[in-house]
Amino acid sequence: MSQRKRSKGLSSSQMTDGEEDCSPSQRDQPFQDQMNQKVSELVQFLLVKDQKKIPIRRADMLKTVGQKYKNYTEIVNRAGKTLQEVFGLQLMEIDTKLHTYILIDNLPRAEGEYLCKDKEKEKMGLLLVVLSFIFMKGNSVKDTALWEFLRLLRVHPGKPHKVFGDVRKLLMDEFARQKYLDVTPIPLTDPPEFKFQWGPRAEKETSKKDVLKFVAKIQGKDPTFWVSQNKEAEAEAAS
Amino acid sequence: MSQTSDSGESSPASRGRRSRSPRAQEDGGDTAGDRLRQLSINEGEDRDRDHNRMIRIQYRKLISTVQQNREAMLNSKSNKLTEALEEANRLFDGVSRAREAALDAQFLVLASSIGKEKANELQLEMSAFDSAAFAEDLLTFMGINRTEVEETDDPEDIPGGFLPSDAWQTVGQEALKYLRRAPTFHYMMGSFKSEPPVPKQRIERQKKASRGKAERAMPAQLKKMESSHQEATEKEVERVLRILQTHFENDPNTPISFFDLVIDPNSFAHTMENIFHVSFLIKDGLAKIKLDEDGLPIIEPTKPTRGGEEDNRTGARNQVIVTLDQKEWKEIIEIFQITEAMITPLSQTTEDEMETE
Repeated sequence: MSQRKRSKGLSSSQMTDGEEDCSPSQRDQPFQDQMNQKVSELVQFLLVKDQKKIPIRRADMLKTVGQKYKNYTEIVNRAGKTLQEVFGLQLMEIDTKLHTYILIDNLPRAEGEYLCKDKEKEKMGLLLVVLSFIFMKGNSVKDTALWEFLRLLRVHPGKPHKVFGDVRKLLMDEFARQKYLDVTPIPLTDPPEFKFQWGPRAEKETSKKDVLKFVAKIQGKDPTFWVSQNKEAEAEAAS
Repeated sequence: MSQTSDSGESSPASRGRRSRSPRAQEDGGDTAGDRLRQLSINEGEDRDRDHNRMIRIQYRKLISTVQQNREAMLNSKSNKLTEALEEANRLFDGVSRAREAALDAQFLVLASSIGKEKANELQLEMSAFDSAAFAEDLLTFMGINRTEVEETDDPEDIPGGFLPSDAWQTVGQEALKYLRRAPTFHYMMGSFKSEPPVPKQRIERQKKASRGKAERAMPAQLKKMESSHQEATEKEVERVLRILQTHFENDPNTPISFFDLVIDPNSFAHTMENIFHVSFLIKDGLAKIKLDEDGLPIIEPTKPTRGGEEDNRTGARNQVIVTLDQKEWKEIIEIFQITEAMITPLSQTTEDEMETE
């Protein structure tokens, strides 16, 4: 593709930002083809990359598209649109400093069985329980408190669990890297103690209100039973 | 509270206040400080140094006490955190250098982290979330069987109920309703799950195996060559003996000239080789060399059945070193009129070797 064509494409993309659909004729066909190609590649890349649930770095996305594409932003926007329209997934930036992205399910929850691997399902069960505990305990818990709570559920951090294996690793490594949990060491503690909070992915994939609903359902109570948590959840939902 | 007012009123004259510290543990340090102060007001530097060291010791003591009693500090009924903060305040009055101030800052970090936790726990009490009850309800949801006791040797396990194996699946199924997690791929036939890592391993193993083979093949080859060489020597010695014996049996009355036997008119190297092989026959007592009436060496095989041992001994006792250079070799060929080798070269390879030589 010649320099002239590309620059022409760029300027038109700037002019018609967000309304590509109505102005294909303004651009030349080879450019369009290449754009579509790049968008498809990025969509595929994002879908595959999301399998591990570790936030995707913008640098890696850029690498997929190719460094020379100056209209990178447009390609990302169009990939996001495709993901939304075809897969019902939303591409979200969860860290504006590190520029990392995640995909979340954007469709209303369907009834019935969820298509999900058993292993994954079990992990999600544990995750939601941990998230519930953190939220109900005031959005931040010490590791010792969390282990104590999990022990009640027959999950012991020190020894391998028959479903989860190394639970400590699952929480502090896997969930932390997937940004479901934020694990920060508490300064000046010996032996080191950790603080568990919700990670940015947890905030996107669920909400305080949903978690409170879950707790309420399990405990057979109304969410308003927990006054301060309910207030917090409502405030978050309103914002 | 009395302490607070104490520190408040004495802050302008902090030095004086130190002597009436209410804390027993600091008494030693304080009296030492006082004594130092009394020593000499003019020796300012010395006094300052000791004073600063004392402050550092007290700060470190305070920090470690607070760290060790973290749980006690967190207790909402205790005033320990306030007391510790007041003490730090009092210590700070004596601080004049950044080094001590840094310790004060370190303490402040610790104190504020405890303060934050304390505040958190306060919030909990208001919200009345009972984690133990939540855990119990979760276990019920998981379908715990409380009448059946799980058999376990582990004392860490809490008795009182048997969890079905799909307990976490049940929770997971429910949990998915609350999480907008993007679904991950499945393979409809379920067979590609563990495929990707396998070829990698295979490639690695193959590489390793082939490398190992190559390494192992090298010494094996060398061994073969060595052994074949040894065998070749032994075989050659036997062959030479057979040739010698055949000639002797064909004509027992004519002595065989040593030179006739070993000299190969076509190859000096082969001649050398023959002499080398014959020397084994002599050494092993299978043949003997003696001089005929003309003083020329003749060779004949010994008869193995008769008197072999004695001959062996005499043969072993005599050691003869023969020199033969290329010039002499040519002379011998000429004089003895040797036209062909009695010991024929064995194989093509030896011929090749000879040609290169």
